[in-house]
Amino acid sequence: MNEKKIIELKGVSKTFDDEVILDNIDLKVYEKEFMTLLGPSGCGKTTTLRIIAGFVTPDSGEVLFDDVKINDVPPHKRSVNTVFQKYALFPHLNVYENIAFALRLKKVSEEEIYERVEEMLTMVNLRGFEKRDVNLLSGGQQQRVAIARALINKPRVLLLDEPLGALDLKLRKDMQNELKNIQRKTGITFIYVTHDQEEALSMSDTVVVMANGKIQQIGSPTDIYNEPENAFVADFIGESNIIDGVMLDDFKVRFSGHEFVCLDKGFGKNEAVDVVVRPEDVDVVPLEKGMLRGVVDSVTFKGVHYEIIVTINKFKWMIQSTDYVAPMQKIGIYVEPDAIHIMKKSEFSGMFGDYSSFSDELDHLSDVTEEEE
Amino acid sequence: MKRTNKIYTALIFVFLYLPIAVLILFSFNSSNSTNSLAGFSLKWYKELFSDGATLLALRNTLVLAILSSVIATIIGTLAAYGIFRMKNKHVKNALLTVNNIPMMNPEIVVGISMMLLFVFVGRLVNAQSTLGFGTVLIAHITFNIPYVVLSVLPKFKQMDRHLPEAALDLGCTPFQSFYKVEMPQIISGIISGFIMAFTLSIDDFIISYFTIGSGFETLPIRIYSMTKKRVTPDMYALSALIFLSILILLLISNFTGNSNNAKEKKPVTLKQKKTRRIVIASTFAVIAIITGAVFISTATTETVVVNVYNWGEYISDGSDGSYDTNKAFEEYYSNVLSEERGHKVKVQVNYTTFTSNEDLYAKIKSGVGGYDVIIPSDYMVERLKNEGLIQPLDLNNIPNYKYIKDEFKKPFYDNGKDTYSAMYTYGIVGIIYNTKYVDEADIGGWDLLWNEKYSGHILQFNNARDAFGSAMYKLGISVNTATEDEWRQALSELKTQKPHVQSYVMDEIYNKLESEEAWIGAYYAGDALSMIYNNENLAFYYPKNEDGEFATNIFADAMCIPTGIDAENKEHAEAYINFMLSEEPAIANAEYIYYGCPNTLVTNNQEYRDYLGEDFDVIYDPDIEENIDDLFSNYAYRNLPADKLALLNKLWEELKVDSSSFGGGIYIVSGVIALAIVGFIVFSYVVKVRRRRLYWNTTPKTK
Repeated sequence: MNEKKIIELKGVSKTFDDEVILDNIDLKVYEKEFMTLLGPSGCGKTTTLRIIAGFVTPDSGEVLFDDVKINDVPPHKRSVNTVFQKYALFPHLNVYENIAFALRLKKVSEEEIYERVEEMLTMVNLRGFEKRDVNLLSGGQQQRVAIARALINKPRVLLLDEPLGALDLKLRKDMQNELKNIQRKTGITFIYVTHDQEEALSMSDTVVVMANGKIQQIGSPTDIYNEPENAFVADFIGESNIIDGVMLDDFKVRFSGHEFVCLDKGFGKNEAVDVVVRPEDVDVVPLEKGMLRGVVDSVTFKGVHYEIIVTINKFKWMIQSTDYVAPMQKIGIYVEPDAIHIMKKSEFSGMFGDYSSFSDELDHLSDVTEEEE
Repeated sequence: MKRTNKIYTALIFVFLYLPIAVLILFSFNSSNSTNSLAGFSLKWYKELFSDGATLLALRNTLVLAILSSVIATIIGTLAAYGIFRMKNKHVKNALLTVNNIPMMNPEIVVGISMMLLFVFVGRLVNAQSTLGFGTVLIAHITFNIPYVVLSVLPKFKQMDRHLPEAALDLGCTPFQSFYKVEMPQIISGIISGFIMAFTLSIDDFIISYFTIGSGFETLPIRIYSMTKKRVTPDMYALSALIFLSILILLLISNFTGNSNNAKEKKPVTLKQKKTRRIVIASTFAVIAIITGAVFISTATTETVVVNVYNWGEYISDGSDGSYDTNKAFEEYYSNVLSEERGHKVKVQVNYTTFTSNEDLYAKIKSGVGGYDVIIPSDYMVERLKNEGLIQPLDLNNIPNYKYIKDEFKKPFYDNGKDTYSAMYTYGIVGIIYNTKYVDEADIGGWDLLWNEKYSGHILQFNNARDAFGSAMYKLGISVNTATEDEWRQALSELKTQKPHVQSYVMDEIYNKLESEEAWIGAYYAGDALSMIYNNENLAFYYPKNEDGEFATNIFADAMCIPTGIDAENKEHAEAYINFMLSEEPAIANAEYIYYGCPNTLVTNNQEYRDYLGEDFDVIYDPDIEENIDDLFSNYAYRNLPADKLALLNKLWEELKVDSSSFGGGIYIVSGVIALAIVGFIVFSYVVKVRRRRLYWNTTPKTK
């Protein structure tokens, strides 16, 4: 990854109708980076994108492009382009004219327009579709036209606002790969907005997790997954057991009535903390060998593994194991020191109750409200 | 089941379109009778297109429609854009409601309020004449805007809200974004809005009527003023043509706006759009050509304008190859002025018409006129003179005044030192009867209208003054100085007559008598003669009272000049009056109007006498001529004092109160229907409330 900074947000805040959408955001975007803004609906990710595109002016803070402040530069003068959520193709123009639109505005010669449109069509695998009516294309094809249209201008940064949201699962996977390839080929910086954590993890160089108008964590996908900074990130990314614990000393933590060895240090003595244990990191062992013991509530077969819910000290743990155990059976569990991740207490502590897994389906439902803003 | 459906649908269409079919059929009828179809002919269409005044009105209407709809479309589209972009939902809804109110508002309210506003503002800026083309244009723009907003706004709503952003994102300036991206999405709404505005503007009568000034007449207003007398078949032809053009426009509008339906799921293909674009382009091309032609034809040199305000069908206007009085004046006076001033001067007569003295009075009194020559009736001349609304004529500028017969020079309404009026025509009321049904022995007096033998075939005036006049002439009561008792006496006379009266009519009298639906009625001599011309069984006499003296109404219409016009315009106005009194136009008008003419150049003219033939002795009946002075002083209507006028109106209402042609039944039926609707609403509300109460009682009160 190139370390040259291209876009920077400094202390950006935005309020709509007395509702704080963005609260003092600091963000740096580097050249050739594939950055994803990830978070549930209403977290401010789309607003951040729109601030970079120029459709929204921040109430305070600075937007820098190549270290030049661009707060007041209108959208049509910024060298960023956007792929919109529902494509926003121009229904009165055919495929060719849609893609050529930006060049037509710049009064580029017809020959060059032809060349560049063809190049774009090749890139998005739509050769031969020039004269098609955009209204009659499938969702995936419309998506490709939208990408070609945005890229023909050779923008420094491409903004993508949940571009795959309207596609079905299979098509979405294909398009993820294609987008990643395009990004690699063109070397253009992508800023990608999504609420789909899997999409974020598989495509991005950098993931920015947002909630309640604030950035919760910035990091590579593995950092975000393995070293979540607080209960929200742990909960939002993947499935997790988040348990109240007390840090006894460096490398020593107590939770569920048992003392564990861990790899974390630097907390105060007897400081209350959140402990994260991923379900796949818990081993089921015979009762007598277990560090903790509990009764199996339920077992669900998930294909590669069984999902086992066990009650231990009134907390329901989720465990993923390839071995079958029977419901109502008493079992022991074993956790390796490197499977334990300690986080400082935050505003999100205790919000998620028993084992938690963020539900995509629910998020889709609540998406409608964000649309309205 | 399906069959009854079809029949039902067919019936609805017959019901809707039969009148228009009949209209079109009669527009090709070679006779001008409404009773029979004589054969196919295009003569009414030919006549229509040789009628200069109607064509001028058509041109005015088109100019007005094009200008107002174009401007309304621009303003309305921008307004729709503004409303669409509005963030605050409450303000948005409020604005939409405000936008819709004018459409629900009765046109008469819009028309009157606009007139008031214009006159008020005109007074503030001290304008000489307020109402005119400008005001009617503003009015049309105003009432068209809501329709444009209503047809454009849904298009904005249907548009993907990210489209403008996408355009900006790709490098459009906000303006480019509007016309390159948003316009194509809303263009069909704009065009259907434009066409709707255009048709509404062409159609409009009421609002135009109130806001139009002198010298500008639209087609609907011209048709209306023509129909006051009698609808001629060339009006059928015109109506048929208007219907056809509106139909075509509507088809185009439906075609371009066929995705108006927000629910339509099927995307419109580019091919459909291409055909649409062609239609749109051709529509605009046609409109542009018409506009261009109209504007080229209206480009002029130095122009002197004379605004004339007269009764409808009260001048020889060049139709049927007759003498075109106004055109002749324009030519004649243009030569006079050009010679005087040494360069080409164009003279233009703006000729508009009114339908009652009260209409005229309202216009003059409100100061909106800007008229140079007006032609009110006797009592109205007196009233205008007394109120200082007309000014003395300079007879030096009207040398032809000397040709007016002496007995018509100082009539009762204008017998002071100054001369305020020059008589144009006079007419005397007589009784028309059908010789086939009416006994010669019964004729002679007013009592024919009361004769029970002819019960159910008698027509009475549908106008308080004339109806009471007939009773008072019969009873020998003075129509101008009657006491309250005498007025009541006349009322009871009319009440005795009422059971025998077929209907109370004004201009419908022509058809009723000509078709022999009714046998007896009173009307003016000239009109009677034209009825006799159409039905030979009809005859006419001037009624006498019981003492054997002529006792009937006489009226005179006279040319006057309103106050408030400047000296130069007054000279032009006097030139016009003088011209009207010269031989050729006076004869042409007398022949056209067929009423009595006070001008000796006319009555002494042998050709005129030959033209009238036997009718000359009816209109200028020597017995009547001898008594003209007497008729004027005793039987002409004068201005009634306010209390008498109020009494007259009260008594007239008393006479008419239960005479509405529906009878009482219709009121009862409408009342029952209204009650049923209210009852239904209340009932369904009660049911709803009861259900809701049940629901609340049976469901647990938890969240």
